[in-house]
Amino acid sequence: MTDTELHLRKFQKELSAGTVSLVLLSVLGHSSRPLYGYQIAKQLQQTQDALLSSKQSALYPVLRNLHAAGLLDSLVEPSVDGPPRRYYTITAMGREVLRSWTDTWSSARDSVDAILEGKFQ
Amino acid sequence: MSTAPPTTIAAYLDQLREALKGADPALIQDALYDAEEHLRSELAENRGISEADLLARMATTYGVPEEVAEIYRDKEIQITRALRTPPRKPAQSMLGSFFGVIADPRAYASLFYMALSLATGIFYFTFVAVGLSLSAGLAILIIGIPVALLFLGLVRVLSLVEGRIVEVMLGERMPRRPAYANAANGFWARIGNLITDPYTWTTMLYFIMMLPLGIIYFTVAVTGLSVFAAFVAAPFVRMVDGSNFSGLFIDGIEVTSNWNFLGDAWLPLIFATGVVGLFVMLHVARGVGYLHGQIAKVLLVRSTAGNL
Repeated sequence: MTDTELHLRKFQKELSAGTVSLVLLSVLGHSSRPLYGYQIAKQLQQTQDALLSSKQSALYPVLRNLHAAGLLDSLVEPSVDGPPRRYYTITAMGREVLRSWTDTWSSARDSVDAILEGKFQ
Repeated sequence: MSTAPPTTIAAYLDQLREALKGADPALIQDALYDAEEHLRSELAENRGISEADLLARMATTYGVPEEVAEIYRDKEIQITRALRTPPRKPAQSMLGSFFGVIADPRAYASLFYMALSLATGIFYFTFVAVGLSLSAGLAILIIGIPVALLFLGLVRVLSLVEGRIVEVMLGERMPRRPAYANAANGFWARIGNLITDPYTWTTMLYFIMMLPLGIIYFTVAVTGLSVFAAFVAAPFVRMVDGSNFSGLFIDGIEVTSNWNFLGDAWLPLIFATGVVGLFVMLHVARGVGYLHGQIAKVLLVRSTAGNL
């Protein structure tokens, strides 16, 4: 692995640490029905984006903790293929948090873009 | 990667368990559960593909066991930092740390747990005593087998429930998913595991212990709170009652006579004792909460070595 790749990996890891909660909350915010971990992972895979579709195992701990923080509701349903599946839906508080996170994200993204384009020189 | 790529889901989970060795047992249980749910969902979506091919493909999407283990360790640290309320900085002075307990939600939650433990203790004890004796008594009849299995299954469920109570109230990390049982093993093998697994028996031991512990916790919590609250209230009662207070009677027997036999001069001291006592109670509750969390962790969570 070259140095550039190593730096890229590290950057991706840090960037995804900050955004994965926002992305998961947003996926569930847009969904009209409860989703389980695997379905969410598949949706993110469709983006083809290296950052979002990377290691799906990382989603589960985040989902669980969003649930623990009261942003998601969950229910367990038995499935024929394996262990019972845990379905998640967004809570009212989750929606509120999602709105504020979205605002923060938008303004941060715009500022970062502006800086990357050299507007503040 | 040092180990050969897994060719079955069971082997994958074993490798994951191996890779997580030394991590919090509760975390391991959750990680195994998540992985199994995901892998089996993928398998169900892609019928006709062998488990080995599927796992080879999943190595890039879900991750190989070592990566997954790394991710879970990382996430646990990050998330604990980001989403949980940070622990309060310990107060510098002795006095500060003694009275600071009043702002610690953990102390109140533990106090509530102590009061609740009598009810849960009675329930758990009765459940295990009845379940065990029914299973043993009916063992000679054919219906003894389903009764025993139902009982053992319910023990597992209750263990998870108690784990959730302990985590929420006492703050000890407990499993959020049931213990992983290898679905590839046959029905009878799984039943055999249920009986030979020491964790089944330590869980029952915990449930039995919950009755005496619950009685002690409840008594300490209720007695401590009411005695010290009465101490705090004493001067105010004295102010209200003046000298005309004729006493409180239950069934014609006065229960309040001579309650102020020490004389009014002692009232400030009694009040101060009450206030200090209530703070001591919060410390006691926090201590009991921590100790009980440790007991629950040892008896209710399987250590990593067990391989089902």
